[in-house]
Amino acid sequence: MIDIDNLELSITDPESGTVKPVLKGISLSIQRGEAVGLVGESGSGKSMTLRCILGIEPRNSTVSGDIVFDGENLRALPAERMRRLRADKIALISQNPHAALNPVLPIETYLLEGMADAHRRNAQATRARAADMLEQVGIRSVDRVLKAFPHQLSGGMLQRVVIAGAISGKPGLLLADEPTTALDVTTQAEVAAILDEKRRDLGMSMIFVTHDLDLAAAVSDRLAVMRHGEIVEIGTPEQIRDSPQHPYTRMLMSIRPTLSGTPAGGTAYDGGSTAVGIPTGGGTAVARVSAAGNSASSVAAETQIGSTL
Amino acid sequence: MTSNESAVLGTQPAATPQRLPAAAGRLTSLRRRLGWVGIACAGIVAVVVLAALAGQFLVPYDPTVGSVTQRHLGYSAEHLLGTDQAGRDIFSRLLAGARTSLIGPLIVVITTAVAGSALALAAVWFGGKTDAFIGRVLDVLFAFPSLLLAILGVAIFGPGIVTASIALAVAYVPYSARVIRSVALRERNLPYVKAAELQGINGLTITLRHVLPNVWTQILTGSTINFGYAIVDLAALSFLGLGIQPPAADWGLMISNGQESLQQGFPEQSLYAGLCIVVTVAAMAYIGERLGGRAAAGRSKQ
Amino acid sequence: MRFLARRLSALVGVLLASSMIVFGALYLAPGSPEQFLVQGRTVSPEVLAAIRSQYSLDDPLPIRYWKWLSGLFTSDLGRSLLTQQDVGALIASRIPTTLSLAAFAAVLIIAFGVGLGILAGTRGGFAERIVIFASNLGIAVPTFFAALVLMSVLSVGLGWFPVFGAGDGVVDRIWHLTLPALALSLPAIAVVARITRTAIVDESESEHVLIAVARGLPKRIILWRHTVRNSLLPVSTAVGMQIAGLIAGAFVVEYAFTLDGIGALLVNSVQRKDFAVVQAIALIMVVAFGVVNLLVDLLYAIIDPRVRLEKGRS
Repeated sequence: MIDIDNLELSITDPESGTVKPVLKGISLSIQRGEAVGLVGESGSGKSMTLRCILGIEPRNSTVSGDIVFDGENLRALPAERMRRLRADKIALISQNPHAALNPVLPIETYLLEGMADAHRRNAQATRARAADMLEQVGIRSVDRVLKAFPHQLSGGMLQRVVIAGAISGKPGLLLADEPTTALDVTTQAEVAAILDEKRRDLGMSMIFVTHDLDLAAAVSDRLAVMRHGEIVEIGTPEQIRDSPQHPYTRMLMSIRPTLSGTPAGGTAYDGGSTAVGIPTGGGTAVARVSAAGNSASSVAAETQIGSTL
Repeated sequence: MTSNESAVLGTQPAATPQRLPAAAGRLTSLRRRLGWVGIACAGIVAVVVLAALAGQFLVPYDPTVGSVTQRHLGYSAEHLLGTDQAGRDIFSRLLAGARTSLIGPLIVVITTAVAGSALALAAVWFGGKTDAFIGRVLDVLFAFPSLLLAILGVAIFGPGIVTASIALAVAYVPYSARVIRSVALRERNLPYVKAAELQGINGLTITLRHVLPNVWTQILTGSTINFGYAIVDLAALSFLGLGIQPPAADWGLMISNGQESLQQGFPEQSLYAGLCIVVTVAAMAYIGERLGGRAAAGRSKQ
Repeated sequence: MRFLARRLSALVGVLLASSMIVFGALYLAPGSPEQFLVQGRTVSPEVLAAIRSQYSLDDPLPIRYWKWLSGLFTSDLGRSLLTQQDVGALIASRIPTTLSLAAFAAVLIIAFGVGLGILAGTRGGFAERIVIFASNLGIAVPTFFAALVLMSVLSVGLGWFPVFGAGDGVVDRIWHLTLPALALSLPAIAVVARITRTAIVDESESEHVLIAVARGLPKRIILWRHTVRNSLLPVSTAVGMQIAGLIAGAFVVEYAFTLDGIGALLVNSVQRKDFAVVQAIALIMVVAFGVVNLLVDLLYAIIDPRVRLEKGRS
């Protein structure tokens, strides 16, 4: 499906001219229908990896390496071909939906402009499909939501809209960049569950970026742990959980909140990184796992959140 | 001091690793703040200021006295830039005009800065009703386009550079007071000011000793920008015959005087005087923008 | 609606206060009101009596203000202290010139200010540098100097445009007003072009535009629907403020081109110390300034759904 080979990225500061390496040789292969969780603290290069796949890395950055998607090298595609791939084959769900949607256009425009180009059907059919997509992600008052502007909807509602837009073209690859981090705790589980369910139904591949190890484990077939622009360990969630090989992974596992709500170990990792990089919502991580893992109803998820707090 | 310590204490490590000779260091920091264009602008401003200070001793001819036989002369060794419709030496008038063209704006800027910061600091320190009242008064002043307020002032107190300048300053005060107020408000809400207040230190002392120094940059950059506007607005008033009165040498007045000659095909005096204004204003605006931008950047970093 | 009511009542309050300033200005002047109004001119006892009655100088101050204010509402602006002409009629005959000049300039500001700003913001490179340089220069050029340069080059030098007068008939009027409108709008065009460019550059770096790129939307849609359209929201406020500012700029340009607008009338009246006319025009300008600013705020509330819908709810 997608093969990332020795991807490197560095950013040049325009004023001082200093070059800062951000990605130091990322290699990662993802099979059709497979979900990979990309885990690490902020600044480890997770999001930047996704941006390289889409070709939207920041200005002043230098990229090398190959990203082969369905037989095409994304890093060497002509602009228009790359745009078609973004429109049809690769969809992004970003962290903050309120920033991702144009604030002065209604939801309807957001959905339709994403679909019109992908399918070129008549307007009425496209609109019906947009309404259908919203229903599929669990939105009931579809007409009201279609007419609403982004600021009138909650973060959770808006993230569902984004998911609806992302899966409407049945893309082969879903890139989720901390899709639940900006949401409030009660809706995080619901959104993660919907995303997971739709992905499995449609058989899409996914790269799920998060700093939340448990959430990643729940929605992914494999986990890749990133640190300082490198992938330090790849394995199934079970492998990572039961026998982490790299010291950094062990550290991540040890500071993970447990059911009792206190870090299990708390031993400092001596790799020179900043002290602790995994903020999680206390015991809620467990709730997310169960909710996302088998698409349990939000009521169940909330119940569990209540019991662990 | 290690970088760790400085992070804890919230201070910045020294910027320059090795000691430069003092003068060179100062030049480097000036260049970094203004850029080469900014230094050129500063040079232009320096020349204008010099002309304003010493111009009257350097003029080759009396700028206010002409001779009918010498009207509309072209360029020559005697008259570098020729003469105007009254036979006065244009170069001498430009040189002497620098003073009047700068004194007015200076009055405007100083009056604006003093009145604007006094109002802003009073509003911020006393807050509540005082703040609201000052806000209302400024709202009313905002309702007048600035040139209109200045013209109204001149209509009442009669034309002249001092009247025009003070009237213009009144028109500028609401703009400067509003900006300074917002900066001062942020400063006043900082913990150390609150702490000083809790220690029972007198409000005026805190305002003068802690708040004022921190809004100082804002006042300075605001004044630089206002200076440019004031040159243009005062020149407009002179142009309308409401500012400085003839036969004084003043750039705005020269443009106005030249209007008639211009229609007869002698645009020189208007053009030169106008260019003096444009170049001075553009240079000051550039410096103000650089300093303002830097000040803002410095703030956001903290 | 509550937003409109609140803004309207604020405007009325400010205008009332401004009218007191315009009214009270008379009493700030050195010397007695009569002395100030007459200004050393030799006048007959009848004229003096007329002036005393026009300003109700025999009544106490609040009543004087009230009479003056209620006179304004019945469009009785008093008589000129010099020519005894009815001030209302005098001003009414001058307003069309000022309005057409301001409207012309407003069109130029929108067309060239926004147009050049979009050009610089979307094209980048050479076009951008030219526009930035020209706008820096334009901001520093006083309107009256621009007026003289235009006059010197295009009227006196090349003879393309008339030197003064407002012209008769539509085409002739446009021809006569082209240079004045250009001079009047030049600094505003510079400011608007610069603000537009900055707004577009800022907007093109916003996250929703980045996401639009990531969604593979066509370039044209990203540029116009998401970048330019959004950046024009703050620009509309700036344009409105510049148009309101034309009111003050107009008298300089009218004076320079000897147009018979109310701005030139104001300047002449100040020069001739005809305070009745000065008061009336100052008041009209303040009202116009306030109304234009209010319209700008309302316009912004209408075109930005975030503001519109918030107000709708409250």
